[in-house]
Amino acid sequence: MKRNKTVAFAAVCAGLSLLTACGSGSSGGSGGSGGNSASGGAPAYNAGIQNIVNASTKTGGTLSFALSNTPDSTDPGNTYYAYMWDFSRLWARPLLSYKDVPGKDGLQLVPNLATGKGQVSQDGLSWTYHLKPGLKFEDGSAITSQDVKYAVERSTNYAPDVAPNGPTYFQQYLTDPTYPGAYKDTSPDKMGLTAIDTPDPTTVVFHLQHPFADFDYLVSMPQTAPVPPAKDTGAKYQEHPVSSGPYMFSSYDPNKGFTLVKNTQWSAASDPNDKQLVNQINVEFNVQAADIDSRLLNGTLDLDLDGTGVQTAARAKILGQKRLQTYADDATTGFLWYAALNTQVAPLNNVDCRKAIEYAINKTTQQTAYGGPIAGGDIATTILPPTVDGYAKSDQYKFLANPNGDTTQAKSELQKCGQPNGFSINIGARGDRPKEVSAAQGIQEALGQVGIKAQIQQYPTGSYFTSYAGSPNFVHQHDLGILMGGWGADWPDGFGFLSQISDGRAIKSAGNSNLQEENNPALNALLDKSTQTTDAPGRTAIYTQIDQMEMGDAVILPEVYSKALLYRNPAVTNVFVTEAYGMYDYTQLGVSQ
Amino acid sequence: MITFIIRRLFAAVLMLLVVSMVTFAVFFLVPRLAGQTTDQLAAQYVGKNPSPTQIHAMEVKLGLDAPLYVQYGRFLKGIVAGQTFNDGPDVSVCPAPCFGYSFKNQEPVWPQMLSALPVTGSLAIGAAIIWVVFGVGIGVLSALRRGTVFDRAAMTVALAGVSLPVFFTALLSLAIFRDTIPLFPDAGTFIPFSQDPLRWAGALVLPWVTLAFLYAALYARLTRAGMLDTMNEDFIRTARAKGLVERRVVVKHGLRATLTPIVTIFGLDLGLLIGGAVLTETAFSLPGLGRFAVNAINNKDLPEILGVTMLAGFFVVMANLIVDILYAVIDPRVRY
Amino acid sequence: MAAPLEPLDLSGPADEPVLGDLTGKTIRGRSLAEIAWSRLKRDRWALGGGVVIVLFVIGAILSVFLANSGVLDIATYHTDLIDHNTDAPLGTFGGISWAHPMGVDPQYGRDMLSRVLVGSQFSLLISFTATLLSVVIGTVMGVVAGYFGGWVDTVINWAMNVFLAFPLLLFALSLTGVVQGTNSAFGLSGNALTIAVLVFVIGFFNWPYIGRIIRGQTLSLREREFVDAARSLGARGFYVLWHELLPNLVGPILVYSTLLIPTNILFEAALDFLGVGLKLPTPSWGAMLADAVTNQYYSIDPEYILVPGLAIFISVMAFNLLGDGLRDALDPRSR
Repeated sequence: MKRNKTVAFAAVCAGLSLLTACGSGSSGGSGGSGGNSASGGAPAYNAGIQNIVNASTKTGGTLSFALSNTPDSTDPGNTYYAYMWDFSRLWARPLLSYKDVPGKDGLQLVPNLATGKGQVSQDGLSWTYHLKPGLKFEDGSAITSQDVKYAVERSTNYAPDVAPNGPTYFQQYLTDPTYPGAYKDTSPDKMGLTAIDTPDPTTVVFHLQHPFADFDYLVSMPQTAPVPPAKDTGAKYQEHPVSSGPYMFSSYDPNKGFTLVKNTQWSAASDPNDKQLVNQINVEFNVQAADIDSRLLNGTLDLDLDGTGVQTAARAKILGQKRLQTYADDATTGFLWYAALNTQVAPLNNVDCRKAIEYAINKTTQQTAYGGPIAGGDIATTILPPTVDGYAKSDQYKFLANPNGDTTQAKSELQKCGQPNGFSINIGARGDRPKEVSAAQGIQEALGQVGIKAQIQQYPTGSYFTSYAGSPNFVHQHDLGILMGGWGADWPDGFGFLSQISDGRAIKSAGNSNLQEENNPALNALLDKSTQTTDAPGRTAIYTQIDQMEMGDAVILPEVYSKALLYRNPAVTNVFVTEAYGMYDYTQLGVSQ
Repeated sequence: MITFIIRRLFAAVLMLLVVSMVTFAVFFLVPRLAGQTTDQLAAQYVGKNPSPTQIHAMEVKLGLDAPLYVQYGRFLKGIVAGQTFNDGPDVSVCPAPCFGYSFKNQEPVWPQMLSALPVTGSLAIGAAIIWVVFGVGIGVLSALRRGTVFDRAAMTVALAGVSLPVFFTALLSLAIFRDTIPLFPDAGTFIPFSQDPLRWAGALVLPWVTLAFLYAALYARLTRAGMLDTMNEDFIRTARAKGLVERRVVVKHGLRATLTPIVTIFGLDLGLLIGGAVLTETAFSLPGLGRFAVNAINNKDLPEILGVTMLAGFFVVMANLIVDILYAVIDPRVRY
Repeated sequence: MAAPLEPLDLSGPADEPVLGDLTGKTIRGRSLAEIAWSRLKRDRWALGGGVVIVLFVIGAILSVFLANSGVLDIATYHTDLIDHNTDAPLGTFGGISWAHPMGVDPQYGRDMLSRVLVGSQFSLLISFTATLLSVVIGTVMGVVAGYFGGWVDTVINWAMNVFLAFPLLLFALSLTGVVQGTNSAFGLSGNALTIAVLVFVIGFFNWPYIGRIIRGQTLSLREREFVDAARSLGARGFYVLWHELLPNLVGPILVYSTLLIPTNILFEAALDFLGVGLKLPTPSWGAMLADAVTNQYYSIDPEYILVPGLAIFISVMAFNLLGDGLRDALDPRSR
């Protein structure tokens, strides 16, 4: 066995040596100080979390990405995946975007197409943005405010039959929710949405139904990236979205992939955020996941676009060899793995019974089930993960002090709730996710130690939220008191994370995300208050308050703050993890050879 | 002969209809029998956190709200007369044969299949040449040298070949010949022939060998068994008694008789393979019909699944037809 | 070639004196079964295959009891036996120890011996039942088509062509994928449902393989004299089928069943690889091998590939060897 490993390592070195990375100490990069700290640094394990690795202004070359499946869409109005929101900024610039720096500062919003953050009216119902002057599409035509308005009109918000995949926040928060969509718009210039005004070619005004302090986050989504009405091809737009960013589409095949080349109409002067370093970017679809890892390690691929980390075998190789480890980052993804404790399924309607579960669980087993400390993540003690605005350290049930669970305390809680000998309950999990099933088994085992008999029911991922766990009727009928799940915010603050999963008014009869079916009027009121609080620290404090209130109510059993082990090809420059998306920032990259 | 061909063509069309009906039934009837509603069906094609409006819009768009026979009727009409599709601002026309538009990415199915066909064709035909030459060759030699070391060794390797799962050999070969010893760095991708013939071949060597290994093993065993049977026949004894050179006996008389059943099986195998070498293509990430089918199934993309199933069925049926005609040519006893 | 008669033995006592005291044993012809058995006994490879199969079956049956009684444990994690950086088991050969004679699996540390033994239940159950289904349908169809001929034969023949034209793998994928998308159907759910669907798909679509062969055999058998004899004595169709034809078909049925089983084992493993079929943590051989291969464990824990891989390989080889041996033993023309 050892011999095989040596051979494998030698071969990997042979491969990497083509990039002069092996055996030469440091790799590429100009302006690097020798150590691990300071920006522009040399590669090191986790260097990309707080620093920019391989900082360089070198231009030229080709960047190659791969995906293990096909994207939901490259049409900015029709996509709902974090990696596409990150990547699509290269051809679809929204009004605002996240600051392209590593660390906490990367959660701030900065102007992109707009000149600044939104100007709010006195009553909080109108938000105004001004476009920078001289912006152009890839064909040289000017970008106007009407193009931004049209982009929203044609997106999932109002035209779900043509663009079914994206989020629908605008439809929820703006006035005129019954607008029939750009394709059924009968007005001559297709500007029929009354919720958005375009008084002049560089001004966009959004009208809201209620004040919403987080509105700037909504306009940072790709759906505000402008689309010229004359060039909109609807369902086919994804094949060649008209670019407003540094790159444009040169080819697209729905089964094989697409290629981006430089957009000559883009100018760095109008875009302090993105960089245009490489000549060409290739994205290949449907490459086997383990194969992506092999190619990353032997240097023929630059980055995995999906951003969810390498598979088991590559992880073992990377963590087992110091040399490879310097090219890896264990990024916090902003995702929380948790179990919802449904408040409508007896006896979990009693808070002490729920607390018993919180104490009984063996946190280490749960962490292992999701992949251990590096591939799975850190043991979670709050609902908000550390990269979300509103997170504050707190550990109400002493998870960190008793990582294997506290059966004594659990039993005393059971006494309090009137079930001293335990009870029976069912756990719902997605059967085609081995980690989730393992985690459910861990819960089952731990609960068994305090007399709670739990049965695991498995359901398919595709309909888990539409028909099973996300259908309160089904949950009640089948006594599913514990529901496994995971959640990532659509924007990184407490409201973006908590509203859909904690607001009692967000409970739906199908497709429900508030799995624990909590409806706490005090909590709902706090959520509302946060949308009306205009000062940022005030909002942050409210989010922390909500988090702690929910934990105190034991409606959610947080398990792991998800992490992903990412690998960067040593040839790639300006690599770092953006906390906004929990993966590498794709708008700054270059290639060094 | 002509009437025979026409009859067979007619039967072929009938067969394809049956295949399409069964596939349709699988996708619609089975979930319904299992208690799913059209809402739940439509929800599989929408994005995350869909609202009821989104789900309903998807239902209408995919035509899932119409009764089954209407949907099937539309499908048949599409194949014969083409279909139009509302893509938002315009209406796009998909000319006959139109297998519909993919539920997932709204692209017409037929062009996607056409672009995947050369990949599967390259894989299947390349592997076929290798396995016929090696499989039949080794089988014949084994039969002629029955009981020798060569025979035993060949048959043992052949037995091993049919006993190993294809995906296992595929991924192992990638691990050894691409990652450990970088002999075939392009393996695991597909380079079109028009782009670079040398790299096209280089990328396909491992998939060819993996696929051929399995079939060669099968054909070696089959050929050997068939050859042994044939060489015991009376007419061989007669040929030898006539004084023919052994080589002539083997090649002109023995081989011809042995090969007839092999040809049938070969036709069927090749037809099935062009319909999609699913395992090999998935293991080597080749963008052929097989992988297209797997993705379609994972996405529950009915039009794509229907399209690829019918195309695969078509190839098998055509292969059968060609083989039958060849039979009539090779075997003078066969009369139509 | 006729079987040689037993040599005259003048030493022992007579069973049934036929030729007075001169003969020691009764001279009678050997049945096909006896001929085949004696030939099979001489084929060491086939016997070896047979023994291996018997061992596997015993193992599978035993594993049911052992797992219920807790001796075999497929679910408990032993994460203390895992190296947390690489997820590979600590120690050599995947963590072999007295407690875990075949080591543990990566990441979770579950006992491999238990998982492999329990896994044999699935592979054998699915392939046996599916083969049974194929054989039953195939035999019935083949015999009916061959014996009755005419339009019955034409229809059944056409049906066989249709089934053979079906891209089986695609079909299996679609059906299992769709059924797994629903959570329960036809009164079953979870593993039971998956197994039922797998058996149905594999068994139901493979019947033409047997059907063709049986039809061919029936066609040739029905012209034989003993059938004519039975008919001239007044026997009707069903009686002839049951008492005259079927016993003579047992041979080919046996041979081709034995050869169909390994194909089904591999088919199930392929479906696991493609993501339908049984999934982890259910310890089916195919699922474990697919997991090991897809995640490329060969570099950090080769045992995880070797153990289920060898299990599949050995069982498939064994059936092939036995099947080959049976075919040679039953073939009147082989030497």
